[in-house]
Amino acid sequence: MTLDLIKDILLATVPLLIIFPTMFALTTWVERKALARIQNRIGPNKVGVPLTPYGGKLSLFGLGQPAADGIKMLFKENIVPTGADRLFHFLAPILSLIPSMLVLCFLPLDFPWLNGEQNSVKAFMLDGAVIFFFAITGLNTLAVFMAGWASRNKYSLLGGMRAIAQMVSYEIPLVLSAVVVVMIVGSLNADNIAKAQEGWNWFVFQPWGLAAFVIFFIGALAETNRSPFDLPEAESEIIAGYFTEYSGFKFALFFLGEYIAMFAISGLAVTLFLGAGAGPGVESLSWLKIFWFLTKVCILIGVMIWLRGTLPRLRVDQLMGFAWKFLLPLSILNIFVAGFAWHIKDANKETATSVVVWIASIIILYAAAKGLDRVNRAKVKPRTYQYGE
Amino acid sequence: MSVLGSGIFKGMAVTLKNFVGSYFDKERLTTNEYAWQANDKLPERAGDYPKEEAEQLSDTTTVTQYSRNFPMLLHDAGEPMDTVRCVACQICERECPPQCIYIEKSTEKKERSGNKAQFYPATFDIDVSVCMSCQICVEVCPFDAIVMNSQFELSTPSRFGELLLRRDDLLKSNDYYYKIHPEEASARDKRIADEKAAKEAKKKAAEAAKKKAAEAKSKSEAEAKAKEEAEAASKPTEPSDTPPAESTATPSTEPPATPTTEPEKEGSAE
Amino acid sequence: MNEVTAFWMLAAISVLGALIAVRKRNLVHGVFALLVFFVGLAGLFLLLLAEFIAVVQILVYAGAVGILILFAIMLTDRVTGRDAFRVTSRGSFWGALISLAVFLVILLPTIQDIPTIENPTPKETIVETSTVKQLGIHLIKPYIITIEILALLLTAALVGAVTAAQGGRASENEENNK
Ligand code: SF4
Ligand code: SF4
Repeated sequence: MTLDLIKDILLATVPLLIIFPTMFALTTWVERKALARIQNRIGPNKVGVPLTPYGGKLSLFGLGQPAADGIKMLFKENIVPTGADRLFHFLAPILSLIPSMLVLCFLPLDFPWLNGEQNSVKAFMLDGAVIFFFAITGLNTLAVFMAGWASRNKYSLLGGMRAIAQMVSYEIPLVLSAVVVVMIVGSLNADNIAKAQEGWNWFVFQPWGLAAFVIFFIGALAETNRSPFDLPEAESEIIAGYFTEYSGFKFALFFLGEYIAMFAISGLAVTLFLGAGAGPGVESLSWLKIFWFLTKVCILIGVMIWLRGTLPRLRVDQLMGFAWKFLLPLSILNIFVAGFAWHIKDANKETATSVVVWIASIIILYAAAKGLDRVNRAKVKPRTYQYGE
Repeated sequence: MSVLGSGIFKGMAVTLKNFVGSYFDKERLTTNEYAWQANDKLPERAGDYPKEEAEQLSDTTTVTQYSRNFPMLLHDAGEPMDTVRCVACQICERECPPQCIYIEKSTEKKERSGNKAQFYPATFDIDVSVCMSCQICVEVCPFDAIVMNSQFELSTPSRFGELLLRRDDLLKSNDYYYKIHPEEASARDKRIADEKAAKEAKKKAAEAAKKKAAEAKSKSEAEAKAKEEAEAASKPTEPSDTPPAESTATPSTEPPATPTTEPEKEGSAE
Repeated sequence: MNEVTAFWMLAAISVLGALIAVRKRNLVHGVFALLVFFVGLAGLFLLLLAEFIAVVQILVYAGAVGILILFAIMLTDRVTGRDAFRVTSRGSFWGALISLAVFLVILLPTIQDIPTIENPTPKETIVETSTVKQLGIHLIKPYIITIEILALLLTAALVGAVTAAQGGRASENEENNK
């Protein structure tokens, strides 16, 4: 009985604990490489895998870099500022990692081959998986604030405050865009949402789904402090933000937590809009589901890296204005559009109607977005430079 | 009317072009292979970085001439301390944002490269673990004595001490400067020569003018006095003419007050 | 590791969190202890298979309310956490008495409903499956008026707050402009 329970727990959690940290290590390398190439540099290309203790190594385009970074992080000195609150300074990195790790369990990833039989193992079978996801990622904010406050450094505190303001603001459009999917599927369960999109019925192919996906993706960028929303760690303004005073392993934990949160929220985006594990060949081979899921997550991460290499950082007021004056009204409108589209389709099942609804909702959403953009831009004047040019 | 978000996509296209291009277009990748490897001479241990000019050249000439790292002190041809340009005026020390320069002035003056006797730095330390390579010291130095080196191989096994570059580590010849930053060095030397020429020309002109001025002086002084007296005589009538306008004009009376002090300053400087 | 052990662990965590929140003189520490209490409570709800309440507990209390309190503290001069907040013991007796009374008033009806051997089922039947769907139907059907009134009230409060905040700001700006 207990042995079975332990076995089940291990079967459900260990794959997650292997897959995602491995992906983290590879992503740091891919990110550095990609950013370097975008800037016409080479990127890390030296560290390889040593073959013998006396030299000779397999270079593999610097693939050994994550391992080298990890070892370096582990052996670095742990510096705690004199004025810091030692307990909170110690707890913050751990607290930032826990929610990110925890929410991985809510993703519709089941590993059918692990326990031999066909019934799959999952860490959580919750009806409210989606809303649980948001509740628990919200706790990340507290860890960030804790780090900022405990460091007893103005830059850290500023970073922490920025992080709170940003995460609280962007959580609203994030949740509202997810509400659309929940509303259409009629369930908060991630597995049901995945089931509703089987085949090619991905929600991103619907106008409201596309709008919601874009809003969700922007919100996700802000929520995980990714560029162009990386104000809490804006190195040109506030050093490193909330983890200014962190070094060594604690810093590594923050880093890990941030990337795992990225994977988790990309996973949720894939679940909600990109058909979860749907893809060619899943009917015959069930493990392909996991493959497709992770592939889609990787593509989203790739887009995040690409955006990081492209966009400059926003200003604080622009950041707040964008969330409250653009994303929020648009996501509320999107809920209405989705509701109407769904009702009309429900009443009338002809293809012609659905095409008309499809086009009409695209036009409404685009016009609304454009109008909001206009309204928000009304006061923005072209920039004048005092010293430049 | 532009499509919403087209700016972002345009930017992404640019970065994509750079990303893909860097794999096919060798011209794009300007990065050199690591300098030590190029010379096939890896340091035995950390801290074996070269301090001598000749040795550093193998390092600094492998990077582009526009790169810069930490400051160095220039001296002209000859014994370093006999030709060092720095006069220990300590302007750079004061201007350096992170305060990483430490200078001690020599006690007596010394003549260098034909210039008139000046102080020289008895100590000149730059803590490169603090320096942020901002080049402000270079900008402010009135004697073109401090410029940026491009040496990058600086790792040391100790946390303190070895990253504190002493005066003798910092002293580099102008020839070396020419080798690592050819464009900048020739532009700088041309400017120095121009300034020198202009100064000499000015000196000559000033001497010539002095003679003239001496003659004209007695004349003009008399004239000025006459003018002043005339003005003083006319002035008292002005305020009584326009009493109501005075209150509105008060702010505008301030700016003219400052120019009157400036000529005085100039006069005293000369 | 059965439910009882889990219950006692969660209960201990919650009570400890609450006690620390009350006794701690450092305000920020107090808030985080309060958050521990909230999360412990969410765990207890989860143990009772009331998922949705648990998630709302985390979302609203640990997420929103906690951050609100932190923001409020940030606006005071206690940010540093150095100058400990002085808790006066005046009136603590009456406070304790009142909270005890409230506690008992809430507890008594619950105690009466505890199933015993003679009376094995609770008096009122609880909704058998407390899924989110059921909850949603309940909120929309029988309790719709209540929800709407609450929503209206909250919106009014929000608008009022914005007006109050803006009014002060606008007049200040005017003064500055002069
Ligand atoms: S380097 Fe230049 S600015 Fe600095 S002390 Fe020497 S002469 Fe003065
Ligand atoms: S480069 Fe900047 S930081 Fe470095 S010594 Fe010069 S002024 Fe100081």
